[in-house]
Amino acid sequence: MVPLQGFFLGLSSGVACVATCAPVLVPYLLAEGNGVARNAFAVGQFLLGRLVGYLAFGVIAWGINRTLLEAAGYRASIMGFTYLALSVLLVWYSLGRIRTPCAARQTSGLAAAAGTTWPLLFVPMMGLLTGLNFCPPFLMALAGAADTNSLAGSLLFFAAFFAGTSLFFLPAPFLGLFHSVAALSTVGRMAAGVMSLYYGYAGVIYLIGGTGRG
Amino acid sequence: MTPEVKAGPPRRPLRTALLALPMLLLTFFFLTGGRLPSDPKSLIALVVTYAFVNVLFVLMIHTGRTDRYRATFFVIYAVLFSVSFIAHMIDARGSMSIADDEILAGRTPFCHIVITMTLIPAALGKTIIFPGTITKAYASVAGMLVIWIGASLALGRGWCSWGCFFGGWDDGFSRLLKKPLIRNLSPKWSYLPYGVLLAVALTSAAVLSPTYCVWVCPFKAVSEYVPVTSVETLIQAIIFITLFAGLAVALPFLTKRRTQCSMLCPFGALQSFTNPINAFEVRIDPAQCKKCRLCVNNCPTFSLDQGSLEGKGAGITCVKCGKCVDACPRGAAYFHIRGTPLLRSAETGRLLFLYTAVLFMTTFAGGTIQNALMRIMNLLVTGRIV
Repeated sequence: MVPLQGFFLGLSSGVACVATCAPVLVPYLLAEGNGVARNAFAVGQFLLGRLVGYLAFGVIAWGINRTLLEAAGYRASIMGFTYLALSVLLVWYSLGRIRTPCAARQTSGLAAAAGTTWPLLFVPMMGLLTGLNFCPPFLMALAGAADTNSLAGSLLFFAAFFAGTSLFFLPAPFLGLFHSVAALSTVGRMAAGVMSLYYGYAGVIYLIGGTGRG
Repeated sequence: MTPEVKAGPPRRPLRTALLALPMLLLTFFFLTGGRLPSDPKSLIALVVTYAFVNVLFVLMIHTGRTDRYRATFFVIYAVLFSVSFIAHMIDARGSMSIADDEILAGRTPFCHIVITMTLIPAALGKTIIFPGTITKAYASVAGMLVIWIGASLALGRGWCSWGCFFGGWDDGFSRLLKKPLIRNLSPKWSYLPYGVLLAVALTSAAVLSPTYCVWVCPFKAVSEYVPVTSVETLIQAIIFITLFAGLAVALPFLTKRRTQCSMLCPFGALQSFTNPINAFEVRIDPAQCKKCRLCVNNCPTFSLDQGSLEGKGAGITCVKCGKCVDACPRGAAYFHIRGTPLLRSAETGRLLFLYTAVLFMTTFAGGTIQNALMRIMNLLVTGRIV
């Protein structure tokens, strides 16, 4: 029953998860200007990052008292540092995008797809950081995972929660249908820059004790 | 070789009067609603507004020039809007600031820029993420949506030069110098509003709050604001004032471009998408054009480029201000009605656009201008604006 509970919780709150991740993922996909297949790969990388984040919280939920994580002060600190890290990533991405691989490299296949989104950990890192969001569904997942009282149960709960939310990301690769519109790449990069300011500001506000939310 | 064409001579007075007559009648009807006010101050405000609109329209018709008279209206409207709006806020609340209980009660006035942030949550969640009244109140959500649809159909992005009550600020400051002090502003920055649009639409959907209004809007400086009671609100106030001073005052002054409208405003970006479905557009006749680039250099929103000079027309960011049409010494730039043959009756295209634009502007702005004039009269007579 644990996986089903997690899955349905994810399914019921997936829209909120997509809404949280879209401000990072959509500008990135537009800026890269890739087709549907490569976008699917990038979304996969992004989701992998989220999965790692969720599983890490699965371990934490099992290993320590969940009330510690649910305490507002800890949440604000984690959110603050997470947002600042996202901000740094996005500034770096929007100002100095590096994606052209060496001409001698393999030009097709998985390795090439990974290579053109250099560095490899960039997209999963964005997924991880956006996954660490203490939205109400995430807190419910945290509570549900902690109630399983075992590491396996906790991990399974979060994995199922992840699966439920991930279904909502399926349309994202289709942004690649617009890859022929060259201006979208510039717009995506500028949006990433704007988002970096947003997360930077929100991170600071979280750390100094405000809400950091619009 | 194509003979040089210059802007035509002024129309004869009788012809000007005949062409202006429909506008004189229509604006009278729209401003009065068929009934003259009995209060002397209201009557004076009405007469001044009516005369102001129609004198400018007559001048547009008579001289064949568009932009300088449009800008006169547009800039004065922006200033008077702030007078009327702030006075209204002081009337209703006692200050320019938005108190928390006003926000919680959903009594915050809704402006068109918020539309960019409300569309996604409204479409997906059937929720208006703005603490405004839906109907029957000052600046209600529904009222502004209806005006937006009307403006989009009538003017496309021409709204940004003929309707927006904020645009006059940077338009005004962009006209103070004769020549720009900063010339090499990359047109690439004109993509930024689309980036801002994408960012604010997505973040607003994520946090269910209009993030541009809360954190970015430069026009908070001349409308209303959240009182500074914490570090967070202090940062917000600094952002609002800095952006207004930078993008609506300093950069327009230095570059002679409308930098707020062309480099930040997400609503302008959204409105650009309505340009292709609007009947009016600006085109350049490649046969008449001698590639002097006066139009390109004069365009306040970076909407003209080499492609435009070769016959592609202005870009989708064109605000239809008419500056390029006025600037061209050979009459190569002209207003065109989509679906009609190019170059046929270019002046007819301009006239039809002017009827639409001036009528829209009068209908939309007339009440605000009258209200502001009454407030100013109050101030002069009683020493109080409310």
